[in-house]
Amino acid sequence: MSEKLQQIINRQNQALVSDDKKVDEVIQLVGFIVGEEEFSIPILSIQEIIKPIGWTRVPQIPSYILGVFNLRGSVIPLIDLRARFGLPLQKHTDETRFIVMKNGDDVAGFVIDRLTEAIRMPKRDIGPAPDTISESETMIDGVGKQADRIVTILKVHKLLERNF
Amino acid sequence: MDEFEEILQDFLIEAFELIEQLDQDLVELETRPDDLDLLNRIFRVAHTIKGASSFLNFDVLTHLTHHMENLLNMARHGDLVIDANVMDVILESIDLMKALLVRIRDHGEDSGLDVSECVARLDVVANGESAPAPIEIETPIIQEPIVSKVDEEEPDYANMSDAQVEAEIERLLAQKQAEAIAKRAGTAVASTEVAEPDYANMSDAQVEAEIERLLLEKQSQDAAKRAQKSQNTAPEPAPSAPAVVSVPAPQPKTEVAPVAKVAPSAPVARRSEPKEEGESKGGGVEQTIRVDVKRLDHLMNLIGELVLGKNRLIKINDDVEERYEGEAFLEELNQVVSIVSLVTTDLQIAVMKTRMLPIGKVFNKFPRMIRDLSRELNKKIELEIAGEDTELDKSIVEEIGDPLVHIIRNSCDHGIEIGEVRMASGKSEVGTIQLKAYHEGNHIVIQIIDDGKGLDANMLKQKSIEKGIISEKEADAMSEKEAFGLIFRPGFSTAAQVTSVSGRGVGMDVVKTNIEKLNGMIDIDSEVGHGTSMKLKIPLTLAIIQALLVGVQEEYYAIPLASVLETVRISKDDIYTVENRSVMRLRDEVLSLVHIGDIFEVERVFDSSEHAYVVVLGLAESKIGLIVDTLIGQEEIVIKSLGEYLKGIEGIAGATIRGDGGVTLIVDVAALMQMAKSVKSTIGSESGDAKKLGVKNSASDYCVMIVDDSKTDRTIMRKSLEPLGVTLVEAVDGVEALNILKQGDHYFDAMLIDIEMPRMDGYTLASEIKKYNKYKNLPLIAVTSRAGKADRMRGVESGMIEYITKPYSPEYLMNVVKRNIKFNEGL
Repeated sequence: MSEKLQQIINRQNQALVSDDKKVDEVIQLVGFIVGEEEFSIPILSIQEIIKPIGWTRVPQIPSYILGVFNLRGSVIPLIDLRARFGLPLQKHTDETRFIVMKNGDDVAGFVIDRLTEAIRMPKRDIGPAPDTISESETMIDGVGKQADRIVTILKVHKLLERNF
Repeated sequence: MDEFEEILQDFLIEAFELIEQLDQDLVELETRPDDLDLLNRIFRVAHTIKGASSFLNFDVLTHLTHHMENLLNMARHGDLVIDANVMDVILESIDLMKALLVRIRDHGEDSGLDVSECVARLDVVANGESAPAPIEIETPIIQEPIVSKVDEEEPDYANMSDAQVEAEIERLLAQKQAEAIAKRAGTAVASTEVAEPDYANMSDAQVEAEIERLLLEKQSQDAAKRAQKSQNTAPEPAPSAPAVVSVPAPQPKTEVAPVAKVAPSAPVARRSEPKEEGESKGGGVEQTIRVDVKRLDHLMNLIGELVLGKNRLIKINDDVEERYEGEAFLEELNQVVSIVSLVTTDLQIAVMKTRMLPIGKVFNKFPRMIRDLSRELNKKIELEIAGEDTELDKSIVEEIGDPLVHIIRNSCDHGIEIGEVRMASGKSEVGTIQLKAYHEGNHIVIQIIDDGKGLDANMLKQKSIEKGIISEKEADAMSEKEAFGLIFRPGFSTAAQVTSVSGRGVGMDVVKTNIEKLNGMIDIDSEVGHGTSMKLKIPLTLAIIQALLVGVQEEYYAIPLASVLETVRISKDDIYTVENRSVMRLRDEVLSLVHIGDIFEVERVFDSSEHAYVVVLGLAESKIGLIVDTLIGQEEIVIKSLGEYLKGIEGIAGATIRGDGGVTLIVDVAALMQMAKSVKSTIGSESGDAKKLGVKNSASDYCVMIVDDSKTDRTIMRKSLEPLGVTLVEAVDGVEALNILKQGDHYFDAMLIDIEMPRMDGYTLASEIKKYNKYKNLPLIAVTSRAGKADRMRGVESGMIEYITKPYSPEYLMNVVKRNIKFNEGL
């Protein structure tokens, strides 16, 4: 019985490995600019992207959380990524967007400077986060290399994690 | 297994419902020990639970209930007189039964609790008063009793052997199933005559019923055979039942006789069932269904969305009305909007009502509690309950139980005196506690009144001082009402001796927290020697509430209207300062004040208005005045959580969405009152946050605005400041300056303002600027030729912090600016 099971598992594993070889796994990312740098997050963790709307300040929270806003009846926190990354604040422009990210039940809106594009990237082009940053603290999931640029991939769950 | 689970769930629901009624009946029984109806009812509960538990294999529970049943049966037959001792044993066994049921609910098993002692005592009581050997060994006749006992109203369970009991259970089960089928077939049991069914003439439904019957017959036969074996093999209840449900109801004349034949006792059950219902619910078929609370919650959420939509619609309607005044279609729109809002409100009330439970559910447990307490404390106490039909939201019913238990315990222990003392003071020996519930507007009021010794304000103060809860000074300033409120302070206990009932100083503290959690208020009234009355005022529902919207600077907050006692408009002169705290006189009370801006870190600016609004908040027994800038009005709001990310923010209970689509935060009044105690005073703590806007790396990061209508003056200032290397922005008058400021392209570290300018002068500009929170700390420096004292005063009033008189030396100006922008500090 267990032998049989083992065989099946082995076969499945092989199938997986060969699958990997056949079609290089591609992940889809959405790129955006905050400050000078281009960041990206997996497209599947985006609930929606909206133009800036009004929000309400909430007292007694870190300054990078601007407050809460109304997304079709849900009250959602709004986080300024510039402030989150320690960059100087900037006035919202026509290109400013709110990216609403979700991870399970956690949802929050993030203010970004502008969107760039949807990126399709083979998994092999993605390297780990720089060693200088400690593993547990970093918000960086990996660094994607493309012909003319590098894109920092962010950990959505880390962004959505309450850290105060 | 699933089926078993289902049965188990049903059993538990039924059992807990039965027990609820039981407590009350038992206490009543003690006063009327020969009430046979009552006894029968109690007996049936024990019997039902025993039957079901043995079917479900809960041996311990079965064992216990069996002995209880035995005892009760004796009482029922007049073999045993129920006195206080017997009652104690019965109550104890019922408690044990409850504990077992709770165990079953939580762990799915009834082991782990020792019932043998209790069982032994039950037997002792039973034997002590009557003939021994409660269980007579009869020769077990397995199949016969089922038939033979058909015409007995109530089989004598107590005299049956275990096997018989089990057989009996089987019978009841079969009977139940038979009933179910009979009901499904849509027929009434008309006759008990046995007729050989004529299959050929039967409708489909009848055939189905017939199949059911045969199945059942088989089952009941099997069951009877198995009755002596282990209960593990208990039959599955009518496996084909669902199939029958889909059958359309046939004509009512069909013969159900076969059913009656299979389970001949069905008519018996039928006869006894209405009797049971008639006793408890006043007859008739019960017009209720069980609904999962989750579904109701979901429904309530949807209604919440609808209410928000309605608010929005009303707002848009108002806007449209304004814009297209006089147009014909407005009339129609108006009608639609008002119908929608009317229906929404009705719908909301209707759904709210589905969640309502009578408060009797909570009250029911108190007669028993009072009984136990009075025996324990050796006092004579009577409980009077009124308004147990008053309904309130399920979630509140669940929360209200604990506080009431504490209050009533407290009344029994501290309030009601012992008999002799009562007699001596000319009161009747029996103390009375009244428990009343009634509606008052959108609130339910629960009143607990005792005719005990009452609260002694001076004694309370003394005790509190001794325990270090308040200072002597505070005590002196306290009104009688405030002193009563001391009993809710943590660590307070007035009982000289700590009894097992109360006196640990925890209880009343819990009461206050729980009532506050429900946005409720507590009002105590007491007269020494005459008793105490405690009034709990609780809103009917929690999800959708009425709120008062207030504004502070550019922000809005919603305060639950339930906590708002009144609003008053006061002039600045009415505010006094006592020990660094703002207070005001409200009629004959002194009310401490706190500014909402201080609580919620709203950067408040110099407020030129002479008047302020004070929202008087009341929660439980404390009061506070909240100063706000504006009162917006009353609105129905839906409470939404801020979510996981922002949960637990002090002072914020949640958020709501307004008619304009914006989010407004809801004030947590209880937390706000706590925060008010430690809030920083309005003045001071101003410096420090100035540097939060970015780091200054070079001189050009500093930015100063020069506002002057004279080109020459501007140039002089520019020339004076240029050596510093700071960025300079010029404006020709107040309006332009304000516009530049509003654009926010620069972050200004200081402004040099001329006083006399066209369009908007310096004073006005300064006060306009100070209206914005973010410019609260922006240094405004007046540069003017007006040097009079009155001018300086006006400058300070409008928010200027420096006053430079023309003419001035460039160095002087430079130094003043340098000082105010904290130049060089960060470099």
